[in-house]
Amino acid sequence: MQADLKWLDDPQTYRVNQLPAHSDHRYYRSVAEVQAQQSSFVQSLDGTWRFAFAQTPSERPVGFEQPDYDHHDFNEIQVPGHIELAGYGQLHYTNTLYPWEGKAYRRPAYTLGDTTGMPGMFSQGADNTVGAYLKAFTLNPELQGHRVVIQFDGVEEAMYLWLNGHFIGYAEDSFSQSEFDLTPYLQAGKNLLAVEVFKRSTAAFLEDQDFFRFSGIFRSVRLVAQPTVHVNDLTIRANVLDDLTTGDFNLRLKLNDDAAQAQAQVRVMLQTDDHVVIDQTLPVKAEVHVDHVSVPNVHLWDHQDPFLYQLRLEVLDATGKILEVIPYGVGFRRVELKDKVMQLNGHRIILNGVNRHEWDAKRGRSVTLADMRYDLQVFEAHHINAVRTCHYPDQIIWYYLCDQNGIYMMAENNLETHGTWQKMGAVEASDNVPGSLPQWQGAVLDRARSNYQAFKNHPAILFWSLGNESYAGDDIAAMDKYYHDHDQTRLTHYEGVCRNRVYQDRISDMESMMYDPPKAIREYLDHDPQKPFVNCEYMHDMGNSLGGMNSYTDLIDQYPMYQGGFIWDYIDQALLIDDEVTGRPVLRYGGDFDDRHSDYEFSGDGLLFADRTPKPALQEVSYYYGKYDR
Amino acid sequence: MANTTAKVNVVYGDGTLGLNGSGFQYIFSYERGGLESLKHHGKEWLYRVPKPTFWRATTDNDRGNHFSETSAMWLGADLFSTCTKVEVAVDDQPIPLPIAPVNNQYTDHEQANSVTVTFTYTTATQPQTTMTVSYRVDGTGTIVVHAHFTGQDRLPALPALGLRVIMPTAAQGFQYQGLSGETYPDRLAGGQPGTYDVTGLPVTPYLVPQECGMHMTNSQVTVTRTTTLNNADPDDDPFTLTVQQTSQPFNFSCLPYTAEELENATHIEELPPLRRTVLTVFGAVRGVGGIDSWGADIEPQYRLPADRDYDFEFEIMGPKD
Repeated sequence: MQADLKWLDDPQTYRVNQLPAHSDHRYYRSVAEVQAQQSSFVQSLDGTWRFAFAQTPSERPVGFEQPDYDHHDFNEIQVPGHIELAGYGQLHYTNTLYPWEGKAYRRPAYTLGDTTGMPGMFSQGADNTVGAYLKAFTLNPELQGHRVVIQFDGVEEAMYLWLNGHFIGYAEDSFSQSEFDLTPYLQAGKNLLAVEVFKRSTAAFLEDQDFFRFSGIFRSVRLVAQPTVHVNDLTIRANVLDDLTTGDFNLRLKLNDDAAQAQAQVRVMLQTDDHVVIDQTLPVKAEVHVDHVSVPNVHLWDHQDPFLYQLRLEVLDATGKILEVIPYGVGFRRVELKDKVMQLNGHRIILNGVNRHEWDAKRGRSVTLADMRYDLQVFEAHHINAVRTCHYPDQIIWYYLCDQNGIYMMAENNLETHGTWQKMGAVEASDNVPGSLPQWQGAVLDRARSNYQAFKNHPAILFWSLGNESYAGDDIAAMDKYYHDHDQTRLTHYEGVCRNRVYQDRISDMESMMYDPPKAIREYLDHDPQKPFVNCEYMHDMGNSLGGMNSYTDLIDQYPMYQGGFIWDYIDQALLIDDEVTGRPVLRYGGDFDDRHSDYEFSGDGLLFADRTPKPALQEVSYYYGKYDR
Repeated sequence: MANTTAKVNVVYGDGTLGLNGSGFQYIFSYERGGLESLKHHGKEWLYRVPKPTFWRATTDNDRGNHFSETSAMWLGADLFSTCTKVEVAVDDQPIPLPIAPVNNQYTDHEQANSVTVTFTYTTATQPQTTMTVSYRVDGTGTIVVHAHFTGQDRLPALPALGLRVIMPTAAQGFQYQGLSGETYPDRLAGGQPGTYDVTGLPVTPYLVPQECGMHMTNSQVTVTRTTTLNNADPDDDPFTLTVQQTSQPFNFSCLPYTAEELENATHIEELPPLRRTVLTVFGAVRGVGGIDSWGADIEPQYRLPADRDYDFEFEIMGPKD
């Protein structure tokens, strides 16, 4: 198969040769590797790559993926990172209006009666910058002789991949992992990987988040070797019976195709530091199940006590030798709607939440582990017990950290299309996507699937969120159905259905609003509410703000169906750059880069300044969230 | 221990009224319309006469709900309100304004138990209203400052109401007894009562400079400086001025900039170099709000309607021994 630029224009092409999404488990060669958290199956490709930048698709270096292409004028770039922060491409911040506003006229393919699919809209887009990335690598000895896949944790916004000149695949969805099988084209010695990253594709209509519009390989890239018998996917269901004291453990493993013939076994262990709950060894099949293991007096997982049982899977070959070891933290907890109130382990959930964009003032959305650890310290110090991953999946490690720290997650997939239906403050949905358009449903369902499949085993996730501000139609309803069909242990969230009530029985288990004044929330709660109420965004902390929070927290005491919310938002999005006059580092926002149309300082709504120093308002959050931290 | 029975010496000048005593020397200017000089132990604390303040630098929420547009008249009032009347009382008895020839009757050794000078400021608004600021000085040098705003029902809600004191040089810092952090009427529950030392004159670095640094419900604030503009004063030892509450706690901010300076900047790095100290005592503070930043007004109890009178009072302590 050959790469085709037309895919950029076609909402029905969003993944080509990508491996199916699966659980985000890590695997190791030995128990010792698990303990060292260093897997010899993994070879990081982070670091310096070679790079060429083109302002438009027509100016891009066609054929650069071929090893014999003349690459002498390629520069260097650091991966992970944004192309714009590396000095290529203009920095640009805009909120609702699409980044091409006033520069290019675009309507999403298949809206307004279009049947052409809008050929050329992005593949010939004058605003569609291109990054051509090259990375030469030699497989580590530990990976040689294995099936080898490559994982891109985040590439914005559409990417084509080649290895040694052979086309491998194509991916969209900037914030979900994209994985490809490299095995057929790997060669001994030096290999040349080529990635062509386009800033825009039809995915741009789905990724209209209120943020800086970046492009590039902004999260880690790695090669991962797979042993002959390999667990591709695991589904853990650590349920709690309605006595709230008995755990009900279920596990389903999906193994690779070769596994069934391998005479292999898998040892399943579930344990705590001082107690072995399960230790079974089962023959390997395409699917391996452990069903309904009862765990009496189970130690429940919650915010106050995020207790994790340790699951360890050991895949053994016919001789009993370990092929791979998979560790996973298991939290037993029960999420349910009872009397129209959301409960965790039999207790009403109160969400002391924040919306958290991934942000680092120097690195943009390419955040570091240190950033995440700092954020969790802030959460703990100020009684923040919940986070909404607005409006895309975060780095994988963040979900593990939330498991360990007892942070309730509203795990949102990558979707925001407010530019297609919020027109100067009014609801005008005539060119809305995804809407009920069949041509767009595949792409958004894929985003839901990627989110669910990767993160389904994290106890921290209590809610799946279908995206943000994308109006409501059949396609969003299909996403809701996908989550419910696959997961009876969590609830779904979507705010946009309140803009199109026709779908209210099919979308979202909770009534979610943003920025409703307290009075309007009372109105809802006083008039036979059908769903519990959550503020998916409230207390807009732009500049000097966050006054009157008690008017919201008072509702917690007065209405059982009021279950708190997520402050907008955790951290200002602004960039630390050197002042052109003084040379001193200063924080800059939209419009400061000659970028137009811009929404200027509107991304400065955090409880923290962009450099992670707290705003004065944080003490107020600490006080009110502290009152309900229980 | 200050001598509480001491009398204040009164200098009935031709354009000013001088009041002095042990360690203090104050000059009230009839022409400038306010307290022109406040010296303790020879150190000057005033750059220009204190003036009523009616403005705060627009917050993002103010911009979103168009508050600054509807209340824009108060920006003019903040900049351009003028003193239209001066009154003097000696030992709490009003006297005719003691300018020539009335002051020809006095000597070079006049004394009193107390002297009160009251300035009336007429606002640059349409319609106009007034704010009076009175200074009652006793023999210890203590100044009780009382302000009265006269309500006017045809004026828009106030962004702020206070008395702004601009000091000649930037302070080293200040210590206050009140609530931790930056607080507003609708955002003070998280403030912990205590005594806090603030180093320098921090401007909260909101992306766009705006109203900041408010401290609600204080019993005291002490500003420390080390420098003066006096060419004959090479000394750089710290010296202090203390404001304290009378019957009610007071609100203040202590910043290097006026509301107008903050208002003009789009980035913090555009603000001018630190030169002054702007200590503003606020009799009423508008809340900051938080429902959204594109239209929601702050809740009614945190607004400052202009159709009612406001009174506030505080005390500038006399010189420390």
